[in-house]
Amino acid sequence: MNSQVVFLESLFLLVSAAVAAFALSHKSQVSDKAMSYLLCAIASFAIAVSFLGGGQIVSYETSAPLMLGVFPLTFLLDGLSRFFVAILSAILFAIGLFSPGYLSHLKGKISGGQYWIAFFLLALSMFGVVLSADAITFIVMWEIMSLSSAALVASDHTHQSVQKAALIYLGATRTASGLLCGGFLWMHSLTGSWNFASWNFAQPHAIFPALLILLGFCIKAGVWPFHIWLPYTYPAAPATVSAAMSGFLVKLPIYGLIRILIQGGLSSPEIINLMFVLGAISSFWGVLFALVQNDLKRLLAYSSIENIGLILLSLAISLKARAANLPLIADVAMVAAIFHCLNHGAIKSLLFLSAGAVDAMAHSRDLHRLGGLAKRMPWTMACFFIGAFSICSIPPMNGFASKWLLYQSLFKSTLLFGSYLDRGLFLTAICLLSAVGALAIAVFVKAMGVVFLGMSRSHAAEHAVEASPGMLCAQVLLAACCAGLGVFAPNLVSQITKIASSSTRPITTAPIDFALPIPLLAGTLFATGLVIYVVFLQSSKVRTFKTWDCGFGPLTPKTQASSDSFAQPLARIFRPFLKYETNATISGRDRRHFPEQINVEVKIVSILESRVYLPCLAVISYLARGLAKLQAGSIHLYLVYVCSTLIILLALGTIL
Amino acid sequence: MNDISTHVLRSCSHWILFVSSIVILPPVCLTLIRKTKARLQSRVGPPLLQPFYDLIKLYRKSETVSSTMSGVFRLASVAGLATIILLAWLTPWLSYKPWSPSADLFLIIYLFALARVFSLLGALDSGSAFGAFGASREVTLGLLVEPALMLGLVALGLFCGSSDLRMIFSYPHAIGVGAAAVTGAASGAGAAGIWLLVGIAILLASLIELSRMPVDDPTTHLELTMVHEAMVLEASGRNLALIEFAHALRMSIFFGLSAQCFVHALASVCHINTLTQGILSVVGICGIAIFVGVLESLAVKLQWRKVPEFVAYVVSMSLLAAFVAAGSGGIKL
Repeated sequence: MNSQVVFLESLFLLVSAAVAAFALSHKSQVSDKAMSYLLCAIASFAIAVSFLGGGQIVSYETSAPLMLGVFPLTFLLDGLSRFFVAILSAILFAIGLFSPGYLSHLKGKISGGQYWIAFFLLALSMFGVVLSADAITFIVMWEIMSLSSAALVASDHTHQSVQKAALIYLGATRTASGLLCGGFLWMHSLTGSWNFASWNFAQPHAIFPALLILLGFCIKAGVWPFHIWLPYTYPAAPATVSAAMSGFLVKLPIYGLIRILIQGGLSSPEIINLMFVLGAISSFWGVLFALVQNDLKRLLAYSSIENIGLILLSLAISLKARAANLPLIADVAMVAAIFHCLNHGAIKSLLFLSAGAVDAMAHSRDLHRLGGLAKRMPWTMACFFIGAFSICSIPPMNGFASKWLLYQSLFKSTLLFGSYLDRGLFLTAICLLSAVGALAIAVFVKAMGVVFLGMSRSHAAEHAVEASPGMLCAQVLLAACCAGLGVFAPNLVSQITKIASSSTRPITTAPIDFALPIPLLAGTLFATGLVIYVVFLQSSKVRTFKTWDCGFGPLTPKTQASSDSFAQPLARIFRPFLKYETNATISGRDRRHFPEQINVEVKIVSILESRVYLPCLAVISYLARGLAKLQAGSIHLYLVYVCSTLIILLALGTIL
Repeated sequence: MNDISTHVLRSCSHWILFVSSIVILPPVCLTLIRKTKARLQSRVGPPLLQPFYDLIKLYRKSETVSSTMSGVFRLASVAGLATIILLAWLTPWLSYKPWSPSADLFLIIYLFALARVFSLLGALDSGSAFGAFGASREVTLGLLVEPALMLGLVALGLFCGSSDLRMIFSYPHAIGVGAAAVTGAASGAGAAGIWLLVGIAILLASLIELSRMPVDDPTTHLELTMVHEAMVLEASGRNLALIEFAHALRMSIFFGLSAQCFVHALASVCHINTLTQGILSVVGICGIAIFVGVLESLAVKLQWRKVPEFVAYVVSMSLLAAFVAAGSGGIKL
């Protein structure tokens, strides 16, 4: 069968499945189960499509009725888009499994019909963005994606926090789309084509459109300093939506960067250095702020900022190496970036789904109200732990494999780059990354410990039960992905190299030496652990007693370290960045020895938000108030506007 | 045929030597530190094999587990010990070693992180404030020490042109031949300088990593002020034996790495044969243990807030080594 026909059919099927979903979900009573299984079916179909055709490059152009005005929609399925389609479908499949159980806990809060319409639109448009081959198709799909995800964020719109989050998110996406449109138009005027394949960013005039496109993508990806929408958006959205957004939506700007800028031959050192610096700062900033969060999903959101920073950093190294004519390093860094997209997609969707399960079962995401879920939700705990280990990039998990490649590219760059300035830069990046790694461990040990271990801090957490089988299936599937991708990383890397080398223009034939015997190490570790357990602990006599209380009587959940107190020593070190303050007031008659009341308040001020964004917004809204006078509600005035616009345009037309 | 049999014999003897070092050296390190401190305080000190007796005593005792705990607590100590044993196999902390797969320096650093995560989880599972505060301090120390350790090893990696620790810690057979010659880096003395700097950095880093003086005093009686002891407060019986042994083994790995750096510094200025290398690596570990004992008798514990300043010394040591190594030429292609 002709591969083009297969592609056409698959596209058609995808669209018709989504349309069928709309038709079904438009009824007021929607079965979440039916919708979820439909999502699973679409996802598995997309997986099949992405592996069909054996790596052939397929392109497709819509014919007359499906044109946008005079321009056909063009699509391209090559190695890179196949890879991203596979990631997206796997995540959607897991979300489909998770949805029925999870949404039953949100009954009455979100309207099923509206939710599912937006979700299918989001899924479809994300496929569309990945497959689009020209700027017009890209921007159309991008807009559908942005708006449908904004609608999903606002699912539970009766809460004020959700309204605020949706508004901030909308603001971020509008700015991003504006910048992207500007960049695309500029490139069109330079090259006379909408097709990505004919855009060349190596020419001298292309630096400004490249900058616009980069900024647009950075805003959408949540790179520092444009990251402020993420920590509002993810906690407000349902877990399924935040899993899709964090797992895949924020990778799309990265995909766009690879597809448009990197394959377009971007070589300006200013932009590459900008990417390098933004990536490095985001990775540090994200993990530092994740440390002091007390909302589980907010913490995960900040961790996403960190990981996007790592991916951007890898891309920048790849570009630097390409410019310095070191193709092997360029390939290693590119593989690190693409592999980390896959890994972070699996890890973050797993963590968000687990957080959703905790939220649904223990009725809170606040770390001060959780704890002790290990005995009540052991499976969720196991999955969350695997995800947390992976995101701390601990071997043998998948997060380590991609982070190792990033380290290798930095290490080799320090060895091989000519200029001392570059070497110093790479060495600093290695140092920064190791600090980021250690901070990530602090963040996720805090999350694991405070949510699952110790005593329950609230009544709801004490009476939580394990999540439904469907919710567990989704998590187990993703957890297996995390472990499997880590152990079989050597095999995967050779596959991803093929994709990556097509993205870094000077194609190398030398395969990347992924010199880590991870299966052997994982096997040894497991075997040693098993032997130690069987020999020493299994036959040991165990007496159950209470935790040591210094003889002061029973411990209460409040005597445990809280999320704040766990993070305090680290937060103290980074006070200048965090604006971290603790206020403790102890009151009572003899307050030193017999305090009656202790109040501790932790305050963190985000400098960026309070000093930069809010003043900017104030200026904009002040100007907007001035503009509002134009809209006087008088039809005469409007007619004057129309008339004067017409005259000005005519005058311009005759002059120019 | 003769070749094969000598090869088998040699690898067998390597394994036996190595396994006996893993079992014997950690408790000996502990004893040496205690004995030195005792001697400096005019006491006799414990017998040489006291840590062994302690471990055997703990093995015979029954365990007490808190009712708050989940299974994580006991599994964490098992997994922690398994990770440290894996690290002992991979890390070149002795000059004699059986066959091992490639030990990438980034992998080693992150495996140490894995061992740390297990001990942290075990500490948090008890629901006691002691464990949690110990864990909180341990992650703080981890953050401070990890960049220093990583930079130190990266400096050596840059100097030798490889990130594989097996390649880095392979003795040059004569001055200027081997790894240093590849980089075209410097004279023997220059190489010795880098090795010495990194050796000191690793030694200081290990004091922090192992929560010893001047960062933490492992012999006080107030666990609330401590790091490692606070974390293991709830452990008992065989579980505690596993944790204590893992900690001692981790100590000898760190001391061994540092000692290897010093031996390499020596080897880059004069020729040392294999037997001497082996003896020196054991003597080096013992020597460092005695040095730590002396240090613990003389130094006072730093105030917790002053610890970052101490770490600054370690980081600057590694930074110096790393910038010298990065600036010294790199590989000429």
